Amino acid sequence: MTKKVKDNWRALADRLINYGRKLGAEEIEIVFSDSREFNVEVRLGQVENLVEANALDCSVRLFQEKRAVSFSSSDLELSTLQQLVKNALKRLRLTSPDECSGLPSPSLFKIDFNSLKLYDQEINRLKPQDKIKLALETERLALKDKRITNSFGASFTAYEMKTLLVNSQEFAGEYPQTYFSLSLGLQAGSGDNLVEDSWFSAKRFLAELASPEEVARKAVDRTLRHLNPRKIRTQNVPVVFEPLMTSWLLGFLFSCVSGTAVYQKATFLSNHLGEKIAGENVTVVDDGLLPGKLGSRPFDTEGVPTQRTLVIEKGVLKNFLCNTYAARKLNLKSTGNGDGYGVVPNNFYLEPGPDKPEEIIRSIKKGLYLTKTIGHGLNSVTGDISRGAFGLWVEDGEVVYPVSEITVAGNLGRILQEIEMVGQDLNFESAICGPTIKISEMTVAGL
Amino acid sequence: MNKKGFDWEEKTGLELHQVQKTLNLALSTGADFAELFLEYVLSLSILMEDDIIKETSENVSLGLGIRVIKKDRTGYAYTNELSLEKIKSAALSAAAICQLRPEKSSPLILKKINTASPDRNVFVGQKPATSATLANKIDLVKRAYQQAFKHDQSVKKVQVAYGESMQQVWIINSEGLSIKDTRPMARLATIALAEKNGRRETGFFGGGGRVGLDYFNISLTPETIGAEAAREACLLLEATEAPAGEYPVVLSPGHSGILVHEAVGHLLEADFIRKKTSIFSDSLGQKVASELITIYDDPNLPGLRGSYNLDDEGTRPEKTLLIDRGRVVDFLTDRLSARLLKKQNNGHGRRQDYTCWPLPRMSNTYIEAGDQDADEIIQSVKKGLYVSQLSGGQVEDSGQFTFSISLGYLIENGRLTRPVSQATLIGHSFDILQKVEMVGSDLDFGLQTGTCGKEGQEVPVADGCPTLKIKAMTIGGTK
Repeated sequence: MTKKVKDNWRALADRLINYGRKLGAEEIEIVFSDSREFNVEVRLGQVENLVEANALDCSVRLFQEKRAVSFSSSDLELSTLQQLVKNALKRLRLTSPDECSGLPSPSLFKIDFNSLKLYDQEINRLKPQDKIKLALETERLALKDKRITNSFGASFTAYEMKTLLVNSQEFAGEYPQTYFSLSLGLQAGSGDNLVEDSWFSAKRFLAELASPEEVARKAVDRTLRHLNPRKIRTQNVPVVFEPLMTSWLLGFLFSCVSGTAVYQKATFLSNHLGEKIAGENVTVVDDGLLPGKLGSRPFDTEGVPTQRTLVIEKGVLKNFLCNTYAARKLNLKSTGNGDGYGVVPNNFYLEPGPDKPEEIIRSIKKGLYLTKTIGHGLNSVTGDISRGAFGLWVEDGEVVYPVSEITVAGNLGRILQEIEMVGQDLNFESAICGPTIKISEMTVAGL
Repeated sequence: MNKKGFDWEEKTGLELHQVQKTLNLALSTGADFAELFLEYVLSLSILMEDDIIKETSENVSLGLGIRVIKKDRTGYAYTNELSLEKIKSAALSAAAICQLRPEKSSPLILKKINTASPDRNVFVGQKPATSATLANKIDLVKRAYQQAFKHDQSVKKVQVAYGESMQQVWIINSEGLSIKDTRPMARLATIALAEKNGRRETGFFGGGGRVGLDYFNISLTPETIGAEAAREACLLLEATEAPAGEYPVVLSPGHSGILVHEAVGHLLEADFIRKKTSIFSDSLGQKVASELITIYDDPNLPGLRGSYNLDDEGTRPEKTLLIDRGRVVDFLTDRLSARLLKKQNNGHGRRQDYTCWPLPRMSNTYIEAGDQDADEIIQSVKKGLYVSQLSGGQVEDSGQFTFSISLGYLIENGRLTRPVSQATLIGHSFDILQKVEMVGSDLDFGLQTGTCGKEGQEVPVADGCPTLKIKAMTIGGTK
């Protein structure tokens, strides 16, 4: 085996850039990542799975006469990578020129990532026993409740990754990041009346992670509330989305404001830039610069600095989220949302509103508090939504019983205009997130 | 050994005696079982959009996963740096699972390795797609692209994606097994977007499997793939909204296999059974479905996406009868779940790649054909829904499942009338399985493009079913 140059990525990157240029490539971009993962899963009081891993990866894009080609490899042998460069340039001749392809223009580059707080040194001090203990303790606390009849297990993950990006336009940037999560899944009931739910906490800093007590309590409460569900008749009612559900809805919104979907005409919002598409109380932001948050990063995978982008401001569609390619296709600017070949969210969230979640439930005369959806029914071309759903039935401002075997259906375009109330409860437990919201009407199908 | 086979030694620098040493290191802390999974995957993708071949991408993945099992506990480590030092450290990381509760006994020692090879080949074709020229593949992509536009002038955007992979695996375990396999796969799919009077809809069609490029000239041409995607998009332009509420449902053959996958297949995977989280945990021998229902999972079907010569633990897979005329007769097992449940291992241990340990998974799951005519089945419904194309499904261990219709038709007085667009069907496994009233004679397999996700691991699968009638199911439309 020839010796790998992995200890000096910068040198390896420079060698590949020179090699590619010699063979005729005009622009080259190289992204290296090096990640380490520790994961423990415990179930019914004992460690069931333990994973320790490290992974290297290298992704490369090359351009020549407006033609684009790419490759990636987990084999970082110099000879392998050089062969892949050769293959890529051979394929490039069969690819068509595309006016919009190419690296971002160098003028956009500016980097400041010390203030982003993406890396927690604690990861190096945390011992395997401590990690196992966190997971064991979380599950133990939950199983004290005798109404919980089975466990899917508790899991603790510690993850770190170093990213290096170098391109032929003189850009070079590097940053480390960490990620911790603690989660628990539970089951209650018996026979064919089984219910399940889970809770988790995910943070960049260990100290910010929810305690085992909190994760256990929430997982227990969330599971038990589904016990003894009833079926309901098909009707149109107000629907309250709990924060996880709002996050899910925002995930769908993201796919409809992504520049890729816009230039492909694969979104119902493609012709609505600058128009009022939602109520005054709706402001949606994508922000890659929030210190310590999961979706933050100093620059995207093309080296474009991330930023705060208003997507919807007081109901008006202000911006689409773009990588360099989508931006050129649409005659817009990249918003620092690039990810290899597509567009990804940074921290994509709905700004919190004035209402307490309890008040939102109290405002419902008859309606559904949506807690979970399953299935695939999302269509960004039309905005149509149709999903299997679980929830709690609300009458006169009080939760009266759980409901199951229902579906919720509606259209994102209409839903955005019918957000009646927005909660205060925004927590950044994932890159896409939102608070509790109330939609004035959706179709809930049952019997 | 097959001389033409993939040269692992050249690729990784690893020799058999080093592998044996590594396994013994993995066993050193008192494990019952240890295993190395070496994987090398070469894949290629081509994308056409906006009238041009926009991008081609090649991916190389090389890595090693080491698994150590003690009773029902699993230690796992993986690395893609295959230096002896890294491999040794991975073996020790995986072996740490046994040190949580140390027991005094001398460790197992692997003394001899026996080399075996697969005794079957599910690949269908003259040669794997990886050995064909790029020009050949681009030609397929262009043909599908052009046909989609030719289909109808309301087609405005088309995207065609071609993908292929060649996976090489080498599995060596502490029972002395060493076995290698070669697993080619190809896929061609089209998304067409049609627009008329301000309304836009998309259609999808595709195919492939464990096949060579000749498949796209013989079994399923790029022209068909392009045209079918366009046809679906255009039909949807005329579609009305789906009804909401409980109605009789007729499922089309092939595509509706997602029903068996979600409503039955997952719940019979033996890990959910041994953990007793599945509603089918205590159902062996019991009647859970209508007598009309017989379900198999068969990894041996030639050319299908879910097929394999060996599972990812090196076990030769078996066609498994899961439900016999409504009665549960077996589960899908891997090595660990078979041992813990004291059942036979039927070779369903699969993993996404070297970064994952194997789980009991489906391969090609299908409902056996019945004896009814499809037309008679439709004619028996006064008012209901005919499901033509499905886009996906999901199930919970508790048996509640959904699947999503991308194209359906209303049934009115025994005839298919207007097309309806997107809707979700929801039901409970026990309930829906009992409500199957009629089973057609037209068993078919759905699009060979499907992927199944479980615990974050994606594996290729196929589903099949004949025309089915379900007495009543909740449809999540808006009308």
